[in-house]
Amino acid sequence: MRKVSTGIIAGVVGALCISALVSAQAPQNNAPRSPWKYYPEDARANEGPGGPAPVRDMSGTWAGESSGAGVKRLVPPERNPAFTALGKELFSKNKAESNGVLIAQSNDPHVRFCDPFGFPRNMNDQIRSMTIATVQNRTFVMLKFMNIWREIWMDGRALPTKFAGRGADVHDPTYNGYSVGRWVDDYTFVAETTGMAPETWATEGGLPHSVDAKVTERFNRSSKNDLSLTMTMDDPKLYSKPVSLGEVNFRWIPSQTFFDFSCVPSSVQMYLKEMADPSGTPAAAK
Amino acid sequence: MRTRILMVLVFAGLATVGSPTFAHHGNAAFEVGTPTVLKNAVVTEFVWINPHPLIKADYKNEKGEVQHWIMEMGSTVSAQLIGWSRTTLAPGDVVTLYVWKAKTGAFAGRFNKVDFSDGTTMRDTQTGGDDGGRADTGVRQ
Repeated sequence: MRKVSTGIIAGVVGALCISALVSAQAPQNNAPRSPWKYYPEDARANEGPGGPAPVRDMSGTWAGESSGAGVKRLVPPERNPAFTALGKELFSKNKAESNGVLIAQSNDPHVRFCDPFGFPRNMNDQIRSMTIATVQNRTFVMLKFMNIWREIWMDGRALPTKFAGRGADVHDPTYNGYSVGRWVDDYTFVAETTGMAPETWATEGGLPHSVDAKVTERFNRSSKNDLSLTMTMDDPKLYSKPVSLGEVNFRWIPSQTFFDFSCVPSSVQMYLKEMADPSGTPAAAK
Repeated sequence: MRTRILMVLVFAGLATVGSPTFAHHGNAAFEVGTPTVLKNAVVTEFVWINPHPLIKADYKNEKGEVQHWIMEMGSTVSAQLIGWSRTTLAPGDVVTLYVWKAKTGAFAGRFNKVDFSDGTTMRDTQTGGDDGGRADTGVRQ
């Protein structure tokens, strides 16, 4: 037993030594701070829940899992949901990098062309930071990645239901679809969205969706500093059961700032031509 | 025996801490392990773009042959969080570059770190993790 204890202590001491060495590598930044810059310590300084959540209020700027704030994703989207035959056929055409396909062979419209993610992918992929703002009849969700915003109507209107054919009641599909939302209790906001452009992917993993898909988002603010979002997609044309699009977590950013991150088509073409395609295409190797 | 098993588990855990991970774009194209070292490489271009900044450099091998290399970093925003800017590297800089080479054999790869002539070192983000981490330590600042 004594030897076992000695072994554990030695291991822990070793870990602490390595940790100290690693910490010593971190630069000590005493430079003047600019209010126009985002500093990693701004996000990370916010420890703990920070107090109770305000009632029916998500307003503010939030850090997601890829923001540099150390926020962890809670649940990833499903990767093998219950496809219908059509859903399986469409899914088989999507060559997603996260399914083991090299960038050079991927047909992800965002990876290859910077096409907009569209909703719901923009709420479950590249979750960097977002700002939520509410005006009299709408809630806006503004996303750092690609500098886009969504609007969620709260005036009691019904969602449109026709996105094909002719007629005054037909609505064109859009990248973010049509959204309505409401508070279901003091800390939970539920939004429903439909009419999303069907050429977009629902997830990084290449899950397809139809224009008639309906996505339900459930935002829950459990404390001043914590906001979670769970998403479910109902799309009977492509899936025989509702599909979980996962759960993401957000943390309140003390400085309430973030800077943009956009995919620029000309830049991504340069990246693919000079870097990604030669790295992933044997014939292109020197 | 139990002591040995415990020690193995402890050190296996420590080794895991240092393992590089990728998130934005995958690592399938690269030989992730011991990086290729390009000593006294001459930077020819530093392209500060998304999704990944590109470092282009000429490296002369032991035979005197010049190889034109290109390597990608994490995103601009994540690199900024650990001190990078569009002027961190400039054409003409003589540096030592560490890169995980493409499996195709092309002179391309995933950037790991750079040693400058003044003895300082700058690392990539957590190898694509975009969370401000450090490439070869696996921990955040």
